[in-house]
Amino acid sequence: MLTMNNVSKIYQTNSVQTHALRDFSLTVNEGEFIAVTGPSGSGKTTFLNIAGLLEPFTSGQYTLDGVDIGGLSDNETADLRNQKIGYIFQGFNLIPDLNLYENVEVPLRYRGIAAKERKIRIEQCLEQVGLASRAKHLPQQLSGGQQQRVAIARALAGKPRFLLADEPTGNLDSLMARQVMELLEEINKNGATIVMVTHDAELARRAPRNIQVVDGQLADFTLYQGKPTVTATRAEEAVVASGV
Amino acid sequence: MLDIKPIFNAIRRSKIGAVLLLLQIALTMAIVSNAAFMINDHVSYLREDTGFPEKEIFSLSVMTFGKDRSLSQQAELDETMIRSLPGVIDASLTQAIPLSGGGSSSSVRLKPSPEKSKSISVPYYYMDEHGLNTFGIKLLEGRNFRPEEIIVGNDFTGNGPNTVIVSQALADALFPDGGALGETVYLKNRPLEIIGIVGTMKSPWPNGMRDKTTAIVPFMDVQNYQHILVRTDKTERANIMANIEQNMLDVYDKRVIINVDGLDKTKENYDSTDVLMMRMLIVLVVILLLVTALGIFGLTQFNISKRTKQIGTRRALGARKSAIVRYFLVENTMVCIAGLLIGGIAAVVLGDVMMKSYSISSLEPEFILGTAVFIFVMSIVAVIFPAMRAANISPSIATRSI
Repeated sequence: MLTMNNVSKIYQTNSVQTHALRDFSLTVNEGEFIAVTGPSGSGKTTFLNIAGLLEPFTSGQYTLDGVDIGGLSDNETADLRNQKIGYIFQGFNLIPDLNLYENVEVPLRYRGIAAKERKIRIEQCLEQVGLASRAKHLPQQLSGGQQQRVAIARALAGKPRFLLADEPTGNLDSLMARQVMELLEEINKNGATIVMVTHDAELARRAPRNIQVVDGQLADFTLYQGKPTVTATRAEEAVVASGV
Repeated sequence: MLDIKPIFNAIRRSKIGAVLLLLQIALTMAIVSNAAFMINDHVSYLREDTGFPEKEIFSLSVMTFGKDRSLSQQAELDETMIRSLPGVIDASLTQAIPLSGGGSSSSVRLKPSPEKSKSISVPYYYMDEHGLNTFGIKLLEGRNFRPEEIIVGNDFTGNGPNTVIVSQALADALFPDGGALGETVYLKNRPLEIIGIVGTMKSPWPNGMRDKTTAIVPFMDVQNYQHILVRTDKTERANIMANIEQNMLDVYDKRVIINVDGLDKTKENYDSTDVLMMRMLIVLVVILLLVTALGIFGLTQFNISKRTKQIGTRRALGARKSAIVRYFLVENTMVCIAGLLIGGIAAVVLGDVMMKSYSISSLEPEFILGTAVFIFVMSIVAVIFPAMRAANISPSIATRSI
């Protein structure tokens, strides 16, 4: 489904180079549910952005669903994002001037799906997240948990094969976080591949597979077994130094 | 895909900026279309033929203080002297200088007062049989005055002239069905037979309502203060103008010669206030358009900075760069069209008010349409660059805190 080989990302500002990802290699198989953890500034979001085609990488190779991402044009990348990837953002990123129906409709319009088909999909997805009755409400009329469920509905509406979640419960209380997590687990059971970045150890523990990013590198590549095992020396040092 | 419905809904739900811009566009539309019409009207007027070869004619004013000469006899001597000058084509006394802003005007009626009849306010020139040649105006119909038809005196109604030469515009206004030549009309209740019809012959008020319905009356009411019109070869005019004062004083020196001006200069002076106003109007229009363009540009910039994360999110959800540009163009187009529609109605109302209040012609629809097209194109130009910048916002913004 997703294969990264020695992917690096360097941010260049004036004369300062920042290595956000260093020779990052990872394979995600179809149907997996992976939790990505790591300290702040470790490169989790950069990994997620590159995996989600939100920003280019500096070197290495990345293949998504058989497509080599390296040589794609901006339009091809946009189309691939639209067709294969669903995003769930920490801040929900709903468009405040659009009601729930219109928010869920946004990626479908970009795909050029006919109005009739859009309507069916939007109603299905809002139904799935339990908000069908509030389709005409504006995002600010909902609680945080409800807004995130709308964001999930929006991510699902395009029937993506690959769901990326960036701290999906970061702005929610524990009850709502659990509900959202249950929803993601259900979506995963229905066949979607999910990569979720989280700080929440409890949530990470619920994902079948955990990886840890430290200092722009993959620190652990094993199934979660109760406590993260940092295998890379640099990462180990970083964890110890930060007192995590 | 234009996404008109969600964009319209988004504008409706967050309308303050859009409404302000809409009002600005409407106001600009109303003012600019009327201003453009007025400017065009004035430019047309400035290009309009006055009927006179302005660069061949000059005028001078004579203020006589000597009491030892008959004014009318002296006038004849002056005319004869001027006509004899090399380069002079003709000269004639007159009580009104064309295109100068000062002259005489009275009602011309088809029947004597108090009988009811059509009545038209007519600016007129008192001139002798040299008047037409001095004006450089050719007869379309009829004939010129004969010397015996020129009346010298000061009792117009009792012992005035019996003939008149009218402009075609006056002939048409008095006799819309034609046949003006030979008809009798009444000026100051004195019957005058129309013996000649000339083409364009502008009045002393060339930008007025009755600028073309003019007449020449063969009457010489010579006063202490009198004007003389002189037509010369174009190349000789400056030289003759330079010497005319001395030539006049050589004939009789108990007088003052003033205001020796070419007719083109006279018209320029007459138009100067209007030209200044038009220039100010043009500056106002340009400023207004610039302010509106800046308003559109500024609002788009503001919307982009306010919606940076939203744009990033749209890009993350699969929007191509062209879709982002299109979004802002459609949004602007909707606001702009609404503003132009309201502005178009306001322009008609404003034009109507101005027509009634300032006696100007009614606003022509092509000016509303032309202004609307111009403002629309200007708004697209004002939006396109910020929109293209917005399209370059990285989709990764969606996951960053800003």
